[in-house]
Amino acid sequence: MRIPIALAALLCAALTAAGAQKPVAPVPKPVPPSGITGMKGMPGMQADTGKPAPVAKVPADTNPMDGMQMSGMGHGGMSMPIPMPPGMPMMPGLVGLVPSVSSFLPGAGVDPMSLPAVKASSVARLKDGDTLDLTAMLVRRTVRGHAFVMYGFNGEVPGPLIRVPQNATITVRFHNRIDLPSTVHWHGLRLDNKYDGVPDITQAEVAPGGSFVYKVHFPDAGVYWYHPHVREDIEQPMGLFGNMLVDSPDRNYYSPVNQEQALMFDDLLVHADSLIPFGRESPDFALMGRVGNVLLVNGETHYALNAHAGDVVRFYLTNVANSRTYNISFGGAQMKVVASDQSRFEHEAWVPSVVLAPAERYVVEVRFDHPGSYALVNAVQAINHYKGEFEPEVDTLGTVTVSGSAAAPDFSRQFATLRSNAAVSRDIAPYRKYFNKPPDKKLTLTMQSTALPLATVQFMSIDTAYFAPVEWVDGMPDMNWLSTAKEVRWILRDDATGKENMDIDWHVRQGSVVKLRIFNDPKSFHPMQHPIHLHGQRMLVVSRDGVPNTNLVWKDTALIPVGSTVDLLIDASNPGAWLLHCHIAEHMGAGMMAVMHVDPR
Amino acid sequence: MILEKVGLSIGRRLSVAVVVTMLAGPTGPFDIPLFATPSVPAARGVARLVYASSPFGVAVTADGRARYDVQVTASGLPAPEKLGAFNSYVAWEVTPDLDKWVRLGTVMNGKSTVGQAELNKFLFVVTAEADSTASKHAGPTVLHGTSPSGWLQSFLTHPLFRGVY
Ligand SMILES: [Cu+2]
Repeated sequence: MRIPIALAALLCAALTAAGAQKPVAPVPKPVPPSGITGMKGMPGMQADTGKPAPVAKVPADTNPMDGMQMSGMGHGGMSMPIPMPPGMPMMPGLVGLVPSVSSFLPGAGVDPMSLPAVKASSVARLKDGDTLDLTAMLVRRTVRGHAFVMYGFNGEVPGPLIRVPQNATITVRFHNRIDLPSTVHWHGLRLDNKYDGVPDITQAEVAPGGSFVYKVHFPDAGVYWYHPHVREDIEQPMGLFGNMLVDSPDRNYYSPVNQEQALMFDDLLVHADSLIPFGRESPDFALMGRVGNVLLVNGETHYALNAHAGDVVRFYLTNVANSRTYNISFGGAQMKVVASDQSRFEHEAWVPSVVLAPAERYVVEVRFDHPGSYALVNAVQAINHYKGEFEPEVDTLGTVTVSGSAAAPDFSRQFATLRSNAAVSRDIAPYRKYFNKPPDKKLTLTMQSTALPLATVQFMSIDTAYFAPVEWVDGMPDMNWLSTAKEVRWILRDDATGKENMDIDWHVRQGSVVKLRIFNDPKSFHPMQHPIHLHGQRMLVVSRDGVPNTNLVWKDTALIPVGSTVDLLIDASNPGAWLLHCHIAEHMGAGMMAVMHVDPR
Repeated sequence: MILEKVGLSIGRRLSVAVVVTMLAGPTGPFDIPLFATPSVPAARGVARLVYASSPFGVAVTADGRARYDVQVTASGLPAPEKLGAFNSYVAWEVTPDLDKWVRLGTVMNGKSTVGQAELNKFLFVVTAEADSTASKHAGPTVLHGTSPSGWLQSFLTHPLFRGVY
């Protein structure tokens, strides 16, 4: 057998780029006679279809060079148990491989028909001192006609929308009735550290059957969300997320609107009639994070809203997807952005679309000025890595149907005005003197990999001449699926000490203002954008790539594109041990987190 | 294994070439090395793409294309008059087939910021022009480069995928 010279060059480049690592195809686990590995008897599958689970065929010969035998490769009847993008071939060298983890789906074989059907999100209007019982439980969800065992808070997806006045404190009695340990993290809230929901840092995991009582305090108006902080890569996409709306006492906090809607964006990875299982021991899809092929708004495949002509609707947008960054618009309807994670913007702005990275929130006001239907779309530029070309991709997530009757009241005049929020600028004013100080802390974002399949290493090494600052879709789900947290390590590296991830043990004083410079190194094996989230504090994105930000807003999550340098100014106001991490669930699961201690004054 | 021996021996010889190629490439998704032309062989320049101002983490169009301001650093450009009946240098965003030219702004020696570039892949071209407000290019090209996205590789005909298409 001869190896083509070009292929040898590829191999060489792979070895060069991968440095000391020795790429080898993962050796498949012992195969049951059926040829099904880790997929057999997949729980969560619809009980009444009787169709078999997708099959990952494993070659009998585990020679690591198998992936390089090109001749005769191709269709060959080997089915990849994950969906590939339309028209996209799977890589021959990956045929037959499976991730180095065993598979997990909720419910361990429970018949979905024996479970309660999921309910739509209810609104829990609570006031200071109120108590809410929040139970993570198994539910039956039907997606594209197939019933699956999934999770929900109180049987709802999204979980109850908690609506409270600013400065309220509520008690939440959390009950874990799912088959994994869990906790609840109150994303974006500057609350008491011991209720932050981070296992091993602020509390112990809540075992299945266990409970935990949270005191949840809401010091800032805005839109927040809650989700587990244990195996987010599984528990979030399976349905454990909900919004929190914190109302300001100021009646003019936002402009008047005809309706308000909270939209939670999520995606689910489904192949034929099955959910794609998760890695049991550690996350799979560790390179890019799990990018679903079924896009959901509030857990539904098609969001629907009715409005009157001229209605102004305020949308609270939250991205709860594991990895996908969205670019959202409403069929050309005029849209202004008014707020983000933890505050309003200094200045409202007209926008053609909203870029929403995982865990980010934006509040937009949209006017539907004429009767008809407006498509809620996610419109992005995908990269076809096989052709080396960009390809526009548009997913319609829902429809706003606008009737011929006119909006009442008519808020068109208020909508036409872009407000400047002096209160926000006043709140930020004391921090301006720190904007140009040298960074107190510097982080570099990078990754390391070992033992990825050879074909993956070859491909990635050749294709690193260009990486998109933001990868909007997963153009290589085969490679992504086969990468787990065992092979991939995502890294936050402290420039000053060289320490990485949980070895970083920052201490800052309560009341200090910390300038954190984050550089997303494009020269790693697979660079990618990272939405970096800091728990329990608030921060400003003061500059991107040296360009000062002239329209500030308080954030808890900031998108760091590949190759970018972003300066964050952290208001370290809240004492405790706080996690700083990438909010791509699989990146965090592959190590990308650190702790910042805010030591009490 | 013959396979491994052949692959690795060729691999060692080729590894130097690969390293050199990688060093000559862009240093990130935002850097455009600019090349001179016979019109002005001494011209030098680099362009850096920075996201245009946006309330979001990245600035994009409604269909998801990045919107960039282009920070140009140039040197060695003579007074435009030296090249003929010209009075300025103008930067253009040009489709890779050279079909469509969009004016981005004027460029001088030193630093200039022009914008916005909005194409997925484009050529960045600086020409001498008779009119600094020119909306159509007419004069000679003095600097040019390719957007970093132009480095995207096609694997269609690659041995890795032989037999797939
Ligand atoms: Cu990340």
